[in-house]
Amino acid sequence: MAIELMNVRFHYPEQPGQIVLNIPSWSLPGGKQVFVHGPSGGGKSTLLNLLSGLFIPNGGQVEILGKRLEQMTSRKRDKFRAKHIGYVFQQFNLIPYLNAFDNTQLANRFARQKKPASDDEIKQLLISLNIAEKDWYRPARSLSIGQQQRVAIARALVNKPQLLIVDEPTSSLDSTNKDAFMALLMSIVTDNNITLVFVSHDLSLARYFNRVESLSDINRLDG
Amino acid sequence: MILARLALQSLLDRKGSVVLALMAMSVSIFVLLGVEHIRHQTKENFSSSVSGADLIVGARTGRLNLLLYSVFRIGSPTNNIRWETYQTIANSHHVKWAIPISLGDSHKGYRVLGTTTDYFQHYSYGKQHPLVFRHGRAFEQVFDVVLGAEVAKKLGYQLGDELILAHGVATTSFSKHDDRPFTVVGILASTGTPVDQTVHVSLQGIEAIHVDWQQGVKMPGSNITQAELEQADLQPRSVTAFMLGLESKMAMFRFQRAINQYAQEPLLAILPGVALSELWQMMGVLENTLLLVSALVFVAACLGVSAMLLSSIRERSREIQLLRVIGAPPYFLFFLIELEALLIALMSCILGAGLLAACLVFLQDYLVSHFGLHVGVNFLTENNLYLLLTIILASAVVAIFPSFSGYRQARIIKS
Repeated sequence: MAIELMNVRFHYPEQPGQIVLNIPSWSLPGGKQVFVHGPSGGGKSTLLNLLSGLFIPNGGQVEILGKRLEQMTSRKRDKFRAKHIGYVFQQFNLIPYLNAFDNTQLANRFARQKKPASDDEIKQLLISLNIAEKDWYRPARSLSIGQQQRVAIARALVNKPQLLIVDEPTSSLDSTNKDAFMALLMSIVTDNNITLVFVSHDLSLARYFNRVESLSDINRLDG
Repeated sequence: MILARLALQSLLDRKGSVVLALMAMSVSIFVLLGVEHIRHQTKENFSSSVSGADLIVGARTGRLNLLLYSVFRIGSPTNNIRWETYQTIANSHHVKWAIPISLGDSHKGYRVLGTTTDYFQHYSYGKQHPLVFRHGRAFEQVFDVVLGAEVAKKLGYQLGDELILAHGVATTSFSKHDDRPFTVVGILASTGTPVDQTVHVSLQGIEAIHVDWQQGVKMPGSNITQAELEQADLQPRSVTAFMLGLESKMAMFRFQRAINQYAQEPLLAILPGVALSELWQMMGVLENTLLLVSALVFVAACLGVSAMLLSSIRERSREIQLLRVIGAPPYFLFFLIELEALLIALMSCILGAGLLAACLVFLQDYLVSHFGLHVGVNFLTENNLYLLLTIILASAVVAIFPSFSGYRQARIIKS
């Protein structure tokens, strides 16, 4: 399994009485793509932060790619995340004052791989994501939203992650760009056998996935 | 490398606030370095002004007053010393050499010093450097004059030029010895001491221009020619002070006491080094106050940078979150903000130092002419390098607050 959650409970430190997530059991096999939908404020981003190791559950197990995140030290989790997990947000995916190339390279440097991606490899990645060469060295803030999202995918993929977490990436895109983005994303994850957790409230995107789940089915707050 | 690039780009992204912080810090570093440099240079100038003399003797007055008027041409003597007294002391078997000094006249704001040729032979400055003639020679005739390097340079005098001395030491004098011009026969090499700003004539020259003067005014009807004066007996009647080199340093304190107890005339003998130490003690309070004010200005600038960085942390919460997501550990954020502060401090040091260098180049002449301060352009002394290092360390310490705030924010990622 790429993801395996067991009896996961989570609340924010400042609100100990208010459980945000209560997941008795949830798993996802490697190389599969899942679409998780739910209303805003339902705990989708919290779930993703648990999967990426940014949050530690108050109880239960979070096993990602065979590793128990809650048992790792903070430093190890950071390294694990940088090396194995790609992340695409709804917005603010890039450091605004760095250009597309530097944003992509930055993620690669944090992974501290034995053989970091060469400049040529990063350029190839940007080309494969249809980012025009003229836009490589422009500050991220001057790129269009669509371009920024494509650079965000490049940044998420630069370390050849086994797990890709995507959080409402299309909410700022128009329908044409949304379809183009989804087509590009799905072809990349399929071609590279990447496990994908895609979270959105937009049910129209469910058609791209063969596994669709509602967060309310995963997160049993009533129990 | 990645940290440095990110820090630099981040600062460039916030040009407006960073430029203001840079300006505040550069100015504070400029003030701090400037005060320290001028303090150091003044001390060095004063300390190196006279190095060979064992004792300086003048009419009884304060020790500092005697040092200031005899060596630095600052202030005025309280009285003169009789020529006979000078000769008695100068001829003592303890005395190796003696240099009489007669002050009281000036030339275009520069002090005139009447002395003997022993002055050029025995006076030394800095680390026992003797006076050197850049052009010409010492005075031989009554109306010969030897100029300090700066006097010659500023007033454009060359050998053979004639100049008129004025009675008194004011910059503008209405009592001039214009009927008895002096001829430039020598120009001294620069020493970086008050010697450069001095017009040197013989004691006989001083006597000659005052032959028919009384109470600072020329007597009406006097018509002694210059030629007659050159032949006349121009034995000085008094001198302002004199410097002594002794045969033995062992006898210095004994001889000083003997002069101080000289029965025929109230005299004061001082050891230049001891008097200088007294001067530094007096100046110490002022120096420390200046340094304290400069340090406070710097601390204020540091706190300004810290506040700027602290407020930027709030604006950068998404950036911090993003960095965490792509694998940056919290301590990376700590060092990123520290490095930003250090880069600001480093750039401020370069700007502040550059500004100081430019000011020193452009204001050098002004400081000499208005304050008599010879301030060198090279301010990167060991002291100032330590000061710059302290500034950078202090910036790093002050930046701990915003850096820690960034670290904390990186640890507590909110959904």
